[in-house]
Amino acid sequence: MNEVLRFEKVSMHYHSKQGETVAVKDMSFSVNEGEFVAIIGPSGCGKTTLLSLAAGLLKPTSGEVVSRGVSFGYMLQKDELFPWRTIEKNLFLPLEIKGKRTQKERARVLALAEKYGLKQFLKNFPSSLSGGMKQRAALIRTLALDPQILLLDEPFSALDYQTRLSVCDDVYKIIREEQKTALLITHDISEAISVADRILVLSKRPATIVAEHDITFPESEPLRRRENKEFSKWFELLWKELNV
Amino acid sequence: MKHKEIPSKEHLSYLRKTQKKNVVVLILRVSLLLLLLGVWELATAMNWVNPFITSSPSRILKTIGEMYKSGTLFYHVGTTLWETLVGFFLAVALGYGIALLLWWSEIFRRVSEPYLVVLNALPKIALGPLIIIWCGTGSVAIVFMTVIIGLIIAIMNMLSGFMATEEGKLLLMRSMGASKAQILTKLVIPSSLPNFISMLKINVGMAWIGSIMGEYIVSKAGIGYLIVYGGQVFKLDLVMSAVFILCVLAAAMYAIVAMIEKLVIKNK
Repeated sequence: MNEVLRFEKVSMHYHSKQGETVAVKDMSFSVNEGEFVAIIGPSGCGKTTLLSLAAGLLKPTSGEVVSRGVSFGYMLQKDELFPWRTIEKNLFLPLEIKGKRTQKERARVLALAEKYGLKQFLKNFPSSLSGGMKQRAALIRTLALDPQILLLDEPFSALDYQTRLSVCDDVYKIIREEQKTALLITHDISEAISVADRILVLSKRPATIVAEHDITFPESEPLRRRENKEFSKWFELLWKELNV
Repeated sequence: MKHKEIPSKEHLSYLRKTQKKNVVVLILRVSLLLLLLGVWELATAMNWVNPFITSSPSRILKTIGEMYKSGTLFYHVGTTLWETLVGFFLAVALGYGIALLLWWSEIFRRVSEPYLVVLNALPKIALGPLIIIWCGTGSVAIVFMTVIIGLIIAIMNMLSGFMATEEGKLLLMRSMGASKAQILTKLVIPSSLPNFISMLKINVGMAWIGSIMGEYIVSKAGIGYLIVYGGQVFKLDLVMSAVFILCVLAAAMYAIVAMIEKLVIKNK
């Protein structure tokens, strides 16, 4: 399989007046093309730092993040749609920033929006959409530049439990259908088991990888996986590893 | 969500009730004004108070009428209005521009912080003599006064609006590879629009304070001049008339800003 992203002994230190904090320590892992990798860890263990490192928004203190010319799409906890823009204008935002507002690119984004049921909302403002729909719009916006890797930073944590399950299912299907590589960061064990091909377990700060599991289920949809009896076994195992 | 169907009976009665309440409030407001004016007029007509000291609604109307006939009304109103508007737009534009610079550069922001704090606390009227010496005794001095009174508040208001841009949205923009200029034009400026409107509202008041105060210190014409002159020669009808005109103008300017607000902010 083709490797698209690799962390090589990456460490990250933060400096503040109070002193130096080691957020990430000696972390090595790689993500292959088409894979859905989930990283779970206790809250405050530097998960968001990890995504910023992957996207190149932060430079590691030592070590190296190798991503050979791949493009990233970032999806955040909240939808972060701009309330003063219509859904359509929100979806075009990445194109505007990259100076790619060509007819062709816009048509591609609109086709994505239509395919995933946003067509009727294009002229609406975000405030008139449900939480699930907004998060779906945020995903389409992330896909607007056709990134190779999606970085998902707890993208469902701001939603209520019911919505979270269905949006998770939704987002998973879209990512699979568009054949994207995804790196999900979450503190929710069951979310990770329900979507990932591989799970990396992080320790408390400074974050290092304590375990790595290949997850295989006969079913692939998140909601079906949750019904499988293997699911609770994985949950128990990961829960123990998180709490060592 | 808006429903386009025929509203239910309960909803209609709810609408009627709220409308009724609004009408009652409006009637009470107008009656309170009429009552105050009536009592004032009556008190002077019956000589309970001395109209020479307190003036009265009819005397105010008469004074304004006389000013209108002699052609001085629009001269004085125009002078003050012009000074106020020029000062207002200068303070708003300069304040916005300086706030943008401060947002852009952290060093600049940190260096200027103590200066802003001191200038904000300083009563600008203390600069009166300096302004006369620097700017002369014409309209320039009054506009200058108006600008310095509004400017610091405009800067501080806008800067806090710019700095309050949500961290998540900033991260989103950075993750898309947006430049600082793009972050400014596509995120910071539109998201601080409510701050801009509230800054306009505050500065409407500040501009009137500035122009009237400026006219108190140095002037040959204007509403502030009328008030000072009227006080000096004990023509309190003139003072009251000027204050009345000022009330009308300030309310009109505020109403214009409120209208702009309605036009600009639709999606909150």
